[in-house]
Amino acid sequence: MAEAHLTGFLGYREDTSRRSGSWRGIVAVARASLRMVFRRKMFWALYAFSLLIFLFYLFGQYLTVYIENRVSEAMVRQGGVFGRMFNPQELSKVLTSSLHMNGSADTYGDFIWTEGYIVIVIMALVGSLLIGNDFQHNSLPFYLSKPIGKFHYLLGKALAAGGITAIMTLIPCLCLFLEYGFIEDWSYYWTEWRLFLGVVGYGSLVVVTLSSMILAVSAWLRRTGPVILVWISLFVLSRFIQRWLVDGLGLSPSWRLIDTWNNLYLTAMWLFDYDHAKIRPTNQAQPPYGQAVVVVSLTILVCILSLRNRVRAVEVVR
Amino acid sequence: MSTTKVQKILEFRNVSKFYGAVIGLNSVSVALPRGIIGLVGPNGAGKSTFLKLAAGQLKPSLGEVTILDQPAWEWKAKTKIGFCPEVDSFYEDMTGRDFVRSMARLVGYPKELAYEKADAALERVGMASRADRVVRGYSKGMRQRTKLAQALLHSPELLILDEPLSGIDPVGRQEMLDLFRSLAAEGKCLLISSHELEELEKLTEQVIILAKGRIADQGSIFEIRERIENLPLSIRIDSSERKRLAQTLLQCDEIATLDLPANLPQSLIVRVNTPKKFYESLAQFVLRENLPISRLEPLDESAHAILGYLLGGSGKT
Repeated sequence: MAEAHLTGFLGYREDTSRRSGSWRGIVAVARASLRMVFRRKMFWALYAFSLLIFLFYLFGQYLTVYIENRVSEAMVRQGGVFGRMFNPQELSKVLTSSLHMNGSADTYGDFIWTEGYIVIVIMALVGSLLIGNDFQHNSLPFYLSKPIGKFHYLLGKALAAGGITAIMTLIPCLCLFLEYGFIEDWSYYWTEWRLFLGVVGYGSLVVVTLSSMILAVSAWLRRTGPVILVWISLFVLSRFIQRWLVDGLGLSPSWRLIDTWNNLYLTAMWLFDYDHAKIRPTNQAQPPYGQAVVVVSLTILVCILSLRNRVRAVEVVR
Repeated sequence: MSTTKVQKILEFRNVSKFYGAVIGLNSVSVALPRGIIGLVGPNGAGKSTFLKLAAGQLKPSLGEVTILDQPAWEWKAKTKIGFCPEVDSFYEDMTGRDFVRSMARLVGYPKELAYEKADAALERVGMASRADRVVRGYSKGMRQRTKLAQALLHSPELLILDEPLSGIDPVGRQEMLDLFRSLAAEGKCLLISSHELEELEKLTEQVIILAKGRIADQGSIFEIRERIENLPLSIRIDSSERKRLAQTLLQCDEIATLDLPANLPQSLIVRVNTPKKFYESLAQFVLRENLPISRLEPLDESAHAILGYLLGGSGKT
């Protein structure tokens, strides 16, 4: 009797509340992970650099179109105390030929390539936060005791890593594409559909590849220090080595395939239907597109298999 | 005797779990009804494996684990489980409330409901006023309560608690024991793993004793004590004065056989009918005759574990 009274008082009954399926768990895992990353001031400081690059391209494209369409005078006076005169056609040439801010495949390829420097650093820092901590502190039981499986957990983490990559590459790149069509000519959206596919393809490729790589590396190494070292080696050291091997020792251009970021760039250029012979710098021979595509695909596959094994290894009782 | 069929919340059917060549759990069959059940055993007995299998975090190598007739490994069964693991390292940068809310979202609740459930669970474990502090500054007891809150979120039928009282002060311990009792009174099944049989005895009489990956015994503590009283047991005793010890022990009524193995010059192996009485007699003989004893080891592992817990100590007799 007393027990029944106590139960009633506590008001704890069978839970019949509205609940969604386990797929919602993926979003919940991603949300919790992103919240942890967004708490870090370091992330926002680095993200500010990424935004600066985006703004540089955004206003660069605007300036290019403005000069080409609106400036008719032969010489333009620039502001400042003493003032300077410059030829707008020369400026336009610099913006389009050197900086490629003209809504071309080079624009988007260069933009994501440049953003890559910041993305690599940010991913190195957040990798251990996203997944390394879970393995280091053995927090996985909390996730896996809820109605989600290991598959949902991994997808949630990948979604978080992919989201962070996308806000620095895919999304701003799409903004640049939209901006150029908006200020230049709206027919750009459908006449240059291949560019759109290239932007989506390159951005998605970067998102998928970097997410799977950082998750795989962080799951194995766990701690921030080793993760940064290996990550930097994968993207910075490999570039120096491939340049030394191909440009210095004169080995086959296929040696450039050890540079993941270069492989992603080559795959993107293939998606943009870009002439292989015109890939800059033109004095550096590059491996065929096909080889880069195969290596990128294999990289993703190896990372996914490695993650699968790593999460399965959690079963081992230490 | 009642003929009403007792509903089994958790059921193990011939479950074995292998880690490569190592066996974690060996052909275990057990069915747990509602109420509080204690799980005890020495280190390496298979308690963690048992709990992880019950929580669906491990897949059995052989056999089947079901929660209310659903395989524990499947995510749907996890809606009926609340798991409070032994580890307490969760997100140090988060507040306790944020952590529990995140876990509520993982259960699948929409935002408002998740917040409501998290607040209710924190209130229930006595953490409501302290939940807005960052986890990094939490004491062991506060961490235990937070872990328990995330396990209670969805009012599960089965609560699996791994060492839930560890690190909690005596006052907090009493509060937790009251909480466990109230949960059991609501008809939930609580499987509590603990090293401390004394604490478990305050909660329940029903225990499962694990040893070497097998169930050494199960039932009420009283029944187990009864059984152990009459369980014949082989015991190895090492002494530098083996012969004098053997002569003395022959006076003991509880001994059925006594063997002096040739390959162990300092050991003698005795077979006793009533181990508890024998241990009491042995203590008296040793003190009276001033006999040196360097080792005392039951050779039956199951009995070893049972005795370890029933006679006090950590199971390492």
